Amino acid sequence: MGMVTNLFVKDRVAIVGAGITTFMRRALETSRELAWEAARMALDQAGLTLKDVDCVVIGSAPDTFDGVHLKGEYLADGSGAIRKPMTRVFVGGGTGVFVPVSAWWHVASGLCKTVLAVGEEKMSPAHPHPQYVFRYIWDPIIHRPLEPNLIWIFAMEMRRYMAKCGAKKEDIALVSVKNKRNALDNPAAQVAANITVDDVLKSEVLVWPVQELDVSPVTDGAAALVITSENVARQVTDSPVWIEGVGFTLDNQHWENRELAFPRYLNYAARMAYRMAGIERPWKEIDVAEPYDPFDYKELHHIEGLMLARPCEAWKLLKEGYFNRDGELPTSPSGGLLGVGNPIAAAGVMKVAELFWQLRYEAGKRQVKRPVHRAVANAWGDLMQAGTVIVLGN
Amino acid sequence: MSVTKLPGTKLSSKEMYSLPGLVESAPQAKYDFSAGPTISRFLQGLKEGKILGRKCPRCGRIYVPPRDYCEYCHVALTDWVEVPDTGTVHTAVVSYISVRRERLEKPEVIGVIRLDVPGYPPNSYEFAGLFHRLCVPPEEAMSDEVIGMKVRARWKPKEQRTGSILDIECFEPVR
Amino acid sequence: MSWNKHGRLHDIITWPEREEVDKYVYTPGLHGLELAKALMDGRILGMRCSDGKVYVPPKTFCPDYGQGELVEVKGPWRLQYYTVVYENLYGNRLEKPVVVGVIKPDDAVNGIIHIVNADPSKVYVGMELRPVFRPKEQRRGVITDIQYFEPA
Repeated sequence: MGMVTNLFVKDRVAIVGAGITTFMRRALETSRELAWEAARMALDQAGLTLKDVDCVVIGSAPDTFDGVHLKGEYLADGSGAIRKPMTRVFVGGGTGVFVPVSAWWHVASGLCKTVLAVGEEKMSPAHPHPQYVFRYIWDPIIHRPLEPNLIWIFAMEMRRYMAKCGAKKEDIALVSVKNKRNALDNPAAQVAANITVDDVLKSEVLVWPVQELDVSPVTDGAAALVITSENVARQVTDSPVWIEGVGFTLDNQHWENRELAFPRYLNYAARMAYRMAGIERPWKEIDVAEPYDPFDYKELHHIEGLMLARPCEAWKLLKEGYFNRDGELPTSPSGGLLGVGNPIAAAGVMKVAELFWQLRYEAGKRQVKRPVHRAVANAWGDLMQAGTVIVLGN
Repeated sequence: MSVTKLPGTKLSSKEMYSLPGLVESAPQAKYDFSAGPTISRFLQGLKEGKILGRKCPRCGRIYVPPRDYCEYCHVALTDWVEVPDTGTVHTAVVSYISVRRERLEKPEVIGVIRLDVPGYPPNSYEFAGLFHRLCVPPEEAMSDEVIGMKVRARWKPKEQRTGSILDIECFEPVR
Repeated sequence: MSWNKHGRLHDIITWPEREEVDKYVYTPGLHGLELAKALMDGRILGMRCSDGKVYVPPKTFCPDYGQGELVEVKGPWRLQYYTVVYENLYGNRLEKPVVVGVIKPDDAVNGIIHIVNADPSKVYVGMELRPVFRPKEQRRGVITDIQYFEPA
């Protein structure tokens, strides 16, 4: 792996520690305590204390999930941000990868040397069901009178992908099977299981073509990363994981005006990140990927958006085992959101943490069966709008 | 990571409700959303039985639903044009759950309809369209033929139109 | 932006909307659970951190990010700051004005917010107070298990 000369940034940036809590349907801990548990674990792994942290970046999704508004401020003492510069970032589900992206520019600009980046989500307080809160993101005038459930848009995207690319439900269900099986080796996992394609096809139909086992669950959880400049990284650890490229893009909210079979917003963000990392042929140069997979077809959608497969080709490669842990380009070795859980903002941080452990060969039973040097993770959020991408290397 | 026991304390629903110190509270937020000048005009058009789009004076793109400014030229949109209420089905799904995640008695068929608005090449990434219900039976919505099918808006009778997106009852196939 | 509608509010359509969830259920948290059990017992807990200071209510982690140990806070309690409230949340006049304040025990470095059951003209900063708990069967483990603080 060649040294990437950073002509545009002041300091090379590395991740030196990561921590996650168990992902569960409902937690006893308050949101603050979840953030603290994850951040504590990340600091311990890095061998640092709170005194060494200069700045804090917090990512958390709509305040309406845990019913405490001003969530950044609420989580601040749990995230060690008292009397420190604190930034809260939020792009819906894209927040998970946007948190390390934001931490990246805190360090790359020279402003901070050590940043604690925390993503946290507690969805269980919302009753009757947290999914109801998603109703609040629709346009109040043009969309809400139709009383849409969030799963409608995913179903529409999935249908369009199936129609345009010729993929069938059995083909797409393989993602759910793969990820839930990968998650059996993940101690944080909420819904790891050994299921078959048949189980997926027999599960409850929510919004055809989306069925119960195609969907990731409601989760409480938190994950954290410690991100430092090159000098600090070299003192703290022998194997820092470098952040080589970041990308983020926002599209408009009018997903009814767009071709739904290809995520253009993600593609732009990926190009930005690859250009910064000096990657010209991602399908050859990326060794392991964690595409965002709240639904099974979404992983394929994102694999194509990240240019790891040609448009409409991902489902064919999936059938050949290309994306398995022992395949050519393993995806979601952690188990992804389908296997581990989906706390909206923390899920992306979990994926970056997984790649951090993979690139240090510390992922234990989840370690992929091929040498890894470059990795990419993405998250996606809002109403099919936000794409965030991060490229890591060791 | 080398640890096998991660922090975090799981609770079942029963355990949570028997905790001492549990606090329940219901928010009292009520909102009055203004539609804004653009969407208000769009809704007035719906009340009159027309779908209105807004045209960019510089590049000529017609936006449905209308916007205030052009996304590409970043100039204020000016002219209102009436667009045909016919289109093709871009995607369609059948919902068995309500917005509150409860089972529906009758499944709902919804989709994205690409309207026949001039100015967008046939396979362009962007187009003018609406998110609305489709009046086709669920079995037909699940078949392959529905994608690309030609549809037209079925309007509610004039007295029932109030100036809302629901003034169109659904989009029905042009047979 | 089309500013041709300046000042003409009558042709703007508005859409009323209600709150987005039925209710929120908040769990007390790890140390909050201990505090809840203690409140039902008629005691108030705090947390002693590595710097020797005691914080109330106990928060599971200390400012230096480590954990502390739970201790009982005995007082005496003193009124640190206070204000007199004349209207409720919705702007309606209260029958009797209510004194709300931050009440700090001598053996902790911070205080808790609560109601002081005293005549507004008779309260002063530093006055000694004592917590009055509700009858045991009415306690549920929340901060209102303390009904109010009254002059000691």
